[in-house]
Amino acid sequence: MPDTYPINIWINEERYEQLRKAGLADLAKDVLAGMKVLQVPCDAVQRDELLKRYPSAKFDSATTKSIELLPPDTKNQLFELVVEHSRVEIVSAFLKA
Amino acid sequence: MTQIGHGGKTISERVITDVAQVKKRIGGLLQLPISGRAARESIDIAYGFFSPLKGFMGKADVESVCENMTTQDGTLWPIPIVLDVESSVVKDAGLKSGQSIVLTFQHVPLAIMDISEIYSLDKMQLQQSVFGTTDAKHPGVIMYNKLNDTFLAGEITLINSPVFQPPYGQFWYTPLTMREKMAEKGWKRSVAHQTRNVPHSGHEWLMKGAWFSTHGEMPVEKLESGIVVSAIIGPKRAGDYIDEAILIGQQTLQDAGYFRPATHLVSFVMWDMRYAGPREAILHAIIRENLGCTHHMFGRDHAGVGTYYGPYDAHRIFDGLPENSLRIKPVRVLEWWYCPVCGEVTYSGLCGHDDKKQPFSGTLIRSIIQDKVKPTRLIFRPEVFDSLMRCADEYGFGSPFCNETYLEKRQPVFTLSTLD
Ligand SMILES: [Zn+2]
Repeated sequence: MPDTYPINIWINEERYEQLRKAGLADLAKDVLAGMKVLQVPCDAVQRDELLKRYPSAKFDSATTKSIELLPPDTKNQLFELVVEHSRVEIVSAFLKA
Repeated sequence: MTQIGHGGKTISERVITDVAQVKKRIGGLLQLPISGRAARESIDIAYGFFSPLKGFMGKADVESVCENMTTQDGTLWPIPIVLDVESSVVKDAGLKSGQSIVLTFQHVPLAIMDISEIYSLDKMQLQQSVFGTTDAKHPGVIMYNKLNDTFLAGEITLINSPVFQPPYGQFWYTPLTMREKMAEKGWKRSVAHQTRNVPHSGHEWLMKGAWFSTHGEMPVEKLESGIVVSAIIGPKRAGDYIDEAILIGQQTLQDAGYFRPATHLVSFVMWDMRYAGPREAILHAIIRENLGCTHHMFGRDHAGVGTYYGPYDAHRIFDGLPENSLRIKPVRVLEWWYCPVCGEVTYSGLCGHDDKKQPFSGTLIRSIIQDKVKPTRLIFRPEVFDSLMRCADEYGFGSPFCNETYLEKRQPVFTLSTLD
């Protein structure tokens, strides 16, 4: 994902089943002991907008290279949007909602 | 029964519980407020966690500890145990060697100190010896830099027994009560697992592996070896797991049957981490030796921080110690990781699928928990995860990790009586 600032969405068995039904299982990458991650891409403008809306969040440039510390509810909403839209490019839809 | 602790010396508690006697002893004595660290260490001294120390060290012992890693009498000791006070306090109160004073904490008397020496120290030398660095970014150096410039030495007698609050009370064992508990369980051997974590499967296997090593050649029909989970309770930083979740999470492994009560016990020790790597590993061993453990597990980066120490420096330091200087054996372990080929959590010294390994990354697991997504059961036992979420609500102001609200408003670990 060139020039993106991804949001990591953790996929456990339950969420994987939802992804599978939406035909998106292939998008989830195996990370640890069956736990998978789904990377939702985000461009610089969207990143800044998210960090403005959620002051607790930050872009972790050192270790994970992703947007971290978004509220769990927000992560849930993002996941639901992925399932609903059947694709990972949902940040603009999220920001408009 | 006499209990022998570190240095081959008898463990004796220095605690007065009779309030009338306490009042008689402290009448007219000068009162000196002390820090949380000094209070924790006074309690540790009094109950024998630091046996054979009877009080805070004098200058000659501190210098000997720094130079030779022993107290003056030759007892192995890696980190000075000191009480610092503001120079102006010493001057204004006219404190003198030979004087007895009352150390107070939370505005009530905690301990009597019989001052044997008032001295100053070269802090840079202290830092270099203990940490191997004077780098101002090292958390131990930061702690030492904050120490006042004057130090009091002298024996400590606890006059106010701490009352540990729920959930801490059920996990509090002193060296003497821990030894009683071990005798009750029939343990001939026990291995300490030092922790500041809510356990994931990697930790669980570290403990299991250490138990196998410890049990060794003993008969298998009787379970005469145990794991002592020994959590470190001390100052917290934002982002650490909250203390309550650590203790309850560890206990949940037993309550949910992943460990038998016959072979597992959760406890804690009050200690302010110095992050002194190898030297601190020895201190941890001494504390657990006093608690009656026969073995102590050391994993990667024990008590380390940043890149100041090699990942296994805390293993190697035990090789250079004089024989019989410690009555506890180090159990040295490499990593446990998840391997998708083996299909299980496995030991790095056994599994050869290096290119497929999935290490238990703290950052990754923290991120999963932060999102409150239940991890797969091979990472985190579901009961432990549920207990973590309950602790977040009950003790953590909604978060399993220390945030500003928790650091400011958390329940105290212990309270003290007003001695009325
Ligand atoms: Zn393998």
